[in-house]
Amino acid sequence: MLSFIIRRTLSMLATFIVVSIVIFLMMHSIPGGPFDGYDMPLPDNIKARLMADLGLDKPLWEQYLRYMWGVFRLDFGVPYQSPGETVMGLIAHAWVPSLVLGGLGVLIGAPLGILLGMAAALKRNSWIDYVASTIATLGLTIPVFVISTLLILVFAVWLKWTPASGWGEPRRWILPIAAYAAVPMATYARYARSAMLDTLNKPFVTVLRAKGLSERRIVFQHVLRNSAIPMITIFLPMFVGIATGSIFVEKIFRVPGLGAYFVSSIEKRDYPLEMALMLLISALFCISYLVSDILYALLNPRIRLGGKDQ
Amino acid sequence: MNAMAEAPALELKGITKRYDAQTVVDRVDLRVHRNATVALVGESGSGKTTTGLMALRLIEPSDGRILLGGEDVTKLSQKDLRPFRRRMQVVFQDSYASLDPMMTLGEIIAEPLSIHGIGTRDERGDEARRWLSKVGLDGSYATRYPHELSGGQRQRVSVARALILGPSVLVADEPTSALDVSVKAQIVNLLQDLQADMGLSMLFISHDLSVVRSLADEVVVMLRGRVVERGPTERIFTHAHHPYTRSLLDAVPVIDPKARRRRSFLSAAEISAATPRLRPADIEPQPLVDTADPQLVALAGSHFVEAIVSERG
Repeated sequence: MLSFIIRRTLSMLATFIVVSIVIFLMMHSIPGGPFDGYDMPLPDNIKARLMADLGLDKPLWEQYLRYMWGVFRLDFGVPYQSPGETVMGLIAHAWVPSLVLGGLGVLIGAPLGILLGMAAALKRNSWIDYVASTIATLGLTIPVFVISTLLILVFAVWLKWTPASGWGEPRRWILPIAAYAAVPMATYARYARSAMLDTLNKPFVTVLRAKGLSERRIVFQHVLRNSAIPMITIFLPMFVGIATGSIFVEKIFRVPGLGAYFVSSIEKRDYPLEMALMLLISALFCISYLVSDILYALLNPRIRLGGKDQ
Repeated sequence: MNAMAEAPALELKGITKRYDAQTVVDRVDLRVHRNATVALVGESGSGKTTTGLMALRLIEPSDGRILLGGEDVTKLSQKDLRPFRRRMQVVFQDSYASLDPMMTLGEIIAEPLSIHGIGTRDERGDEARRWLSKVGLDGSYATRYPHELSGGQRQRVSVARALILGPSVLVADEPTSALDVSVKAQIVNLLQDLQADMGLSMLFISHDLSVVRSLADEVVVMLRGRVVERGPTERIFTHAHHPYTRSLLDAVPVIDPKARRRRSFLSAAEISAATPRLRPADIEPQPLVDTADPQLVALAGSHFVEAIVSERG
């Protein structure tokens, strides 16, 4: 197990470095620079001085090494679009709304989806199964910006139950959380249904019935346990994906979250912020997959015991 | 002896399963006496597994009755059925999928005891280890997981789990079909030993006729949901009357190449066309209807075959 974690950590580091190089090169291969804005054109000599101040006149490899040396000391620099603060400071305050809304969306959507999927599996081919499948399909196929717009239209404009935009007092959180919850709910409904059905059709469940174990206990003591592994292992990556904010949801609900900065930092060639955001996301994904794999191994006796399959 | 003691351990009367318009099992009668083994043979889709599952009330029959030790359990609710569940158990073909992969073998074997509230946790653990050694596995296996075992070992665990409650009837649904020949023999021997020990009655569902011959007292041949022939094992193997039974027997692999028989597996149409035609004089006297439909009629020595009986022969 320890060697597994070490191996995975090393491969994580390698991933991190590869990702950083690729993003760095892609960022710098976009034509134009941070001071080429059309609204307030800068004189060439001032532009050159700014570039020199920021080290942008150096060769790319040197820029990259300087940047990574900073990363190594946890210094991610200053965002060009907001020079009054550090990249770390900006991410720290912009992440809060994304984390709260997206996080709650997953934490609410996933259990709802599991319940829906369980109900569908246990009452297979009943109306509840069809309703659950329809919800799951719609949740996965309707783009989140359509769902967001529909939510605003129905609950804010027609019913006037909630405010239309989404940050500030908790009442405003409801619609963006609902928008964020759609994908986890749909995903979990599908996972839960198929995992449960898969287990329910196993002969050992039939044996348990033959033993006289009640259907309720079969589901809670055996089927859930056997179906839980895939559901647990997809949770963290999903959480990371959603709790870092969606550009669409944050734009539509006017949430001052992280999502908008992904776009603006590319538009404005804000290299330090974009690099930091991308590295943050890749690090979070790497870590979440690592933790998921460890969890998977801990939960699954087939792997836990070193895979002594015969 | 009173009437209860004489009743067969398991009896199916006219058991029938219909799904919509399709009849999967058609009026099958079966009787498994105490300490006896009845083999249910037939190709896949012949309804033999459905029949076994109906005997266990794991599939609800559309028609017919199930008697366990003479008591009618056909209409009992799942709750009222629970005490009877201790008396009928099952072993399936897929030894891996039959065991909960998340549980240790000790937990798996002891679980039936806890379902029926027998003993304390420690007593159940001891009993599980005792059963492990009874089926020929070391007691240390109790803390292992199903994936650490071979197919034969897993099937032993399934047998231990099935028998720990001391059932009177065991339904074994192709328990040896997924095993190597040598392992197969071991499992068959194990079942025979335990059967003798426990006075177990067995409904042995299989398409493996070599195993059936060494294990069964009676053979019941099913084809498309119907019993087409039944009789004492040796008689079926030596005097099979129905062309389908004969084609099943022909399909048994023979090791000696010189003795290799001509394979003559029949298609459904060929079997229908070849349904035996008998005159009333050929069969044991019993009330019969002269009909164009095939019916199960008695030949000598409790040997029955589905045939068309008419004076015209």
